[in-house]
Amino acid sequence: MLRMFLRRTLLGLATVAIVSVIIFAGIELLPGDACTAFLEREAKGQVLENCREELGLNRPALTRYLEWAGNAMRGDFGMSANGQESIAGLVGARLGNSLLLAVCALMIGVPLAIILGLFAGLRRDRPIDLIISTGAIFAMTIPEFVSATVLILVFSAWLGWLPGIVLTAAEAPVREFFPEILLPMIVLSMVMTAHILRMVRSSVIEVMNSDYIQMATLKGVGYGRIVFLHALPNALLPAINVVALTIAWLLGGVVVVEVVFNFPGMGRMMIDAISDRDLPVVQALALIIASAYVLVNLSADLLTMFANPRLRTLYTRG
Amino acid sequence: MLKLGTPVFAAIIMATAAFAEPTGTFRQAHELGYGAESTLDPISNGRVRQITEKVMSRLVRPGQDGTPTPDLAVSWEANDDATIWTFTLREGVTFHDGTAFDANDVVYTLIRLLDPDLGSPARSAVAMIQEVKALDDMTVQLTLDTPFADMPLQLMDYRLRIIPEDSGDTIGTTGIGTGPFKVEKFDADGTSVLVANMDYWKGAPGVARMEVIGIPDAQARLQALLGGQLDMERGITAQQRVMLEGSDRFTLQEIPTGNWSGLVFRTDVEPYSDPRVRKAVRLVADRQDLVELVLGGGGVVACDTPVAPSDQYRTVLSCEQDIEGAKALLSEAGYPDGIDIDVYVSTLESIWPTLAVAYQAQAAEAGIRVNVVQTPTDGYWSQVWMSKDAFATRWNERPADQVLHEVWHSSAKWNESYFKDATFDQILSDARRELDFEKRKALYVSAQEYLWENGGTLIPYHVTRLVGVSSRVSNLDAVVNDAVRWRLITVE
Repeated sequence: MLRMFLRRTLLGLATVAIVSVIIFAGIELLPGDACTAFLEREAKGQVLENCREELGLNRPALTRYLEWAGNAMRGDFGMSANGQESIAGLVGARLGNSLLLAVCALMIGVPLAIILGLFAGLRRDRPIDLIISTGAIFAMTIPEFVSATVLILVFSAWLGWLPGIVLTAAEAPVREFFPEILLPMIVLSMVMTAHILRMVRSSVIEVMNSDYIQMATLKGVGYGRIVFLHALPNALLPAINVVALTIAWLLGGVVVVEVVFNFPGMGRMMIDAISDRDLPVVQALALIIASAYVLVNLSADLLTMFANPRLRTLYTRG
Repeated sequence: MLKLGTPVFAAIIMATAAFAEPTGTFRQAHELGYGAESTLDPISNGRVRQITEKVMSRLVRPGQDGTPTPDLAVSWEANDDATIWTFTLREGVTFHDGTAFDANDVVYTLIRLLDPDLGSPARSAVAMIQEVKALDDMTVQLTLDTPFADMPLQLMDYRLRIIPEDSGDTIGTTGIGTGPFKVEKFDADGTSVLVANMDYWKGAPGVARMEVIGIPDAQARLQALLGGQLDMERGITAQQRVMLEGSDRFTLQEIPTGNWSGLVFRTDVEPYSDPRVRKAVRLVADRQDLVELVLGGGGVVACDTPVAPSDQYRTVLSCEQDIEGAKALLSEAGYPDGIDIDVYVSTLESIWPTLAVAYQAQAAEAGIRVNVVQTPTDGYWSQVWMSKDAFATRWNERPADQVLHEVWHSSAKWNESYFKDATFDQILSDARRELDFEKRKALYVSAQEYLWENGGTLIPYHVTRLVGVSSRVSNLDAVVNDAVRWRLITVE
């Protein structure tokens, strides 16, 4: 068990290291740099040279990579391109905001997905299942920027019930994000609910058809008891991984939603940083998001293993 | 308690009746164009113009008709050959920090701007200033290295805002000026807050508070306006127009500007080094069609003149599409079978690809086979613009003299078409020293005609800006940004 834990952790670290190389190389390959982006038409001759000199962009790529990676390991991501603010400080508030959005979306999405998935699974192929399943397919396939725009148009522009986009500053206290956070939260939980719901539904169906449930039924155990005590805990196991992936997605992958709603989280920060070639910030964010993915997946794997003895033995033998 | 309170209360009522207190909050967005480089320094590339224009003043500002109008300078005069200009400053003006405004602030601001080490892009607008001197507390003298009859026009530049003496190191965060609003909080990423400057020399403004909010995404800005979170959005595109039209919650202002996009054919490379070819590639454009196709009708046709439709020196030429004329010019130049050319664009400006493709179809009629090359947005200014033989460009409004100099004078740093022509240079220099307005106008007109005959830049139109305004806002001047009197705005 311990050996397996160590092995997974080391693999995770290796992944992060490889990702850091890819991020750095990718940014090196982009045409233009922080100086050409800032100077625009002025980016010529001596002015450009001076700027590159100032930001240390003239040094060999390998030197810069080693310096950056070394500092990043100590949690120091350096200064943003204008050299005025520490990246760790900038990211801090936005990471918090992304987490806030993620937690809000999870709090709605996960319970809703479990309830709906359970219903759909138990009432398989009946009208209620068809409605829920079809709705889930729609929620999954409509791109977030479409559902976001439609929601803004309906609830903000036409009905005027909710603010359309987020105008609160990144460093503002949590309560100031309400009610602006509601629409992005709904958009995110829609997609998330659909994914988790489908997982829950199929595993409920599978579990309900299994032998031990049949046994319980034959023994005369009540229906409610069967569903909530015997079937549901087992049906939720596969959902853990989906939830974990969703959390990682909520942290970094919600770029589109954050941009559409102008939400000051990591996704929008990433886009802003890319467009003004704030390369240190881009690198730091990419690394943080990648690490979050690795961390969340690792914990999900470990969690399922603890919960499911079969997986555990399989791993120790391998 | 009551006895004591009543007179105070009455006094307050009387005070409000005497002069209307500023009320309400006006909210607008800025696009956060320079991200973390955003600053309140008016001459830096990263200036947040939506703030500097409200908190800082110029010596001279554009009036509603675009002509120079006194602001911090009350009057000005030139010597006979327009090389020495004397500006008399306004008395009794104070900066937001309470210090009095005088000639030293003007001298400091201009000398700082002219410092080549600072590398301000605004420097070129006033690079002809050789010496700045305070004659007394309220008089400033500018000595130019060349005669310049329209010096006040140059000083209207939106970046030439006067800052307090020795504030160069801090101005980027404090934003102290003499304008109708004061910076209370500067947060480029989030919401910056401006409050009414009760001591503004023209009187207190109509709104108590302004919020300038950083929203990089254009779609999000429109949505914020539609949802009532913003009171004004200046970047409404022709396609978005329908969303605001016909709603009683918004009004739409149509403002002709001097902003233009165009295609540049470098005059120093084959085949465009032949003026006949240059003219041919411009003659094939159906400009009215381009206005419809590219701008959805929101533009004013230009005959390759960069001078704004509202500029006093603008000339009206006729430039109908002339396919036969273009063909004739091409065969005369030795290309009877037409030419094959590459035109480079990117989505840096969203309408460039549309412009190029529409032009491609028009040019094909005259045997000009255009190959449109899409390039990445990144590094467009450094690797495509002024490097390829033909490419898209864009410019914001500038006064006639400035735009002609900055883009076509043979010594110009940004001479994107590599147009080097002694006759043209001479016309410009004659215009600068001509003190008689009518004669000066005739010279600028002939400069524009000269470009139409010989230039290498296709300027099909000037863009008409659409400004969406919430109906709770009154008294917003329907003019270009630069000339808006922010003091007058009121909100319900």
